[in-house]
Amino acid sequence: MDEYISFEQIPFGSDDFADNPEPRCPCVLLLDTSASMGGSPIRQLNEGIRTFKQELEQDPLATKRVEVAVVTFGPVSVMSEFHTVPNFHPQTLDTTGDTPMGAAIAEGIDMVTRRKKEYKEHGVAYYKPWIILITDGAPTDDWSQAAKLVRQGEENKSFAFFAIGVEGADMDILSKISTRSPLKLKGLMFREFFMWLSASMKMVSAKTPGSAINLLPPSGWSEL
Amino acid sequence: MWKAIGHSIEGTSHTSSGKVCEDALAYNLFSDTAGNEVLVCCVSDGAGSAQYAAWASVASTTFVASTLTSLLNTEGNISVPAIYHVFESAYDLLENAAIEREADISEFACTMLGCVVSDSEAIFFQLGDGAIARDDGSGNFVPVTWPQNGEYHNVTSFITDDRSMGNLVVVSLEERVAEVAIFTDGLQMLALNMEQRSVHQPFFAPLFRYLRLADDETKLQVLSGKLKEYLDSKAINNRTDDDKTLFLATRGA
Repeated sequence: MDEYISFEQIPFGSDDFADNPEPRCPCVLLLDTSASMGGSPIRQLNEGIRTFKQELEQDPLATKRVEVAVVTFGPVSVMSEFHTVPNFHPQTLDTTGDTPMGAAIAEGIDMVTRRKKEYKEHGVAYYKPWIILITDGAPTDDWSQAAKLVRQGEENKSFAFFAIGVEGADMDILSKISTRSPLKLKGLMFREFFMWLSASMKMVSAKTPGSAINLLPPSGWSEL
Repeated sequence: MWKAIGHSIEGTSHTSSGKVCEDALAYNLFSDTAGNEVLVCCVSDGAGSAQYAAWASVASTTFVASTLTSLLNTEGNISVPAIYHVFESAYDLLENAAIEREADISEFACTMLGCVVSDSEAIFFQLGDGAIARDDGSGNFVPVTWPQNGEYHNVTSFITDDRSMGNLVVVSLEERVAEVAIFTDGLQMLALNMEQRSVHQPFFAPLFRYLRLADDETKLQVLSGKLKEYLDSKAINNRTDDDKTLFLATRGA
């Protein structure tokens, strides 16, 4: 080729990238909205969830990758199916009823299983799903089946389950449900917890042997 | 003679968390004793969760590239068993480093992919994610290897997983390969069409177009600088926050 090319001037590289969908990281929030959460706790929880969305929005990749779903109990109610952050619009939660934690956990696991199937059908890569349970009480339904599902799911690396106890939570039962040690929220530091959760989720793409989850130390919001 | 450029660039998530680049690249271009123009290249991605990932990726790429180079010079060719043997030696290297630091070998977890390409034969190897592409002789790029991801996107195999290298893939070709691209997982969603299992041609076309035209060292240096800028550009960083390595090689006219 005789044409003179100034190598200093050439546009090197392309921004035409493969049109792969962004890998997704599903996250289900199982939120206790029983009567005992009334007043300040539910207000702080609502505030925390809004902070969660805001924090994730700060990160361009988390915005596209993290998908949030919300289930409240009780009664068990899917407040929001999986949505990426821009389409996740947290509703202000009110307190109602009792604490059917077992049914809520089963619902959360079911949602994650269905979501993974949808990803597979659409050729979307994904990260290990997260299920986050937040409660201030003890289950009012039979939770033994839920505990079994959690244990199986963790063994099969189907998801990572985290239990967070608010003041008044039966930590003993939580530790029987969750294979990871449940963590106790300090006071009503929901905001700090959700900031930690969003920061941990932003690290999700870090490569791991097996399918361990990389977490930031739960400092600041938990009673260790 | 081969012309090659390549860089490992730190991802934005590493920059913001104060981590260093855990990708590494080592390559040699030379004429072997029989006069073959040879390309040896090794690329590695250290596991984000492993404490010594950065050290491991540099040490193992340097080791594998230099071992393959001297092996080729003494033996005249590289066989499939020889690749396994070199990987086992790399495992031993990491295991010794782990013993020395009183750490588990998984703290040295890294992937490894690369090639030895001479005039009429080529051998490609990969353990973990990332991928290798080559030209098919008609201007298109085709995958030689494919990312090894488990169910989850961030889960893959590492050379530290087992000394018998059960996950190692070796592709041996008895033909003249003219162009090679090797990259780590930070770029695989941009450079590959995952659903069709194909190479995304527009990603590579403009890069190779100028690499082919670079007919002296000065021009190669300019392209090398531009590749570095490109890998750290907004266009790329908007799509990946991971470390990324891209190596491109073409035979000179």
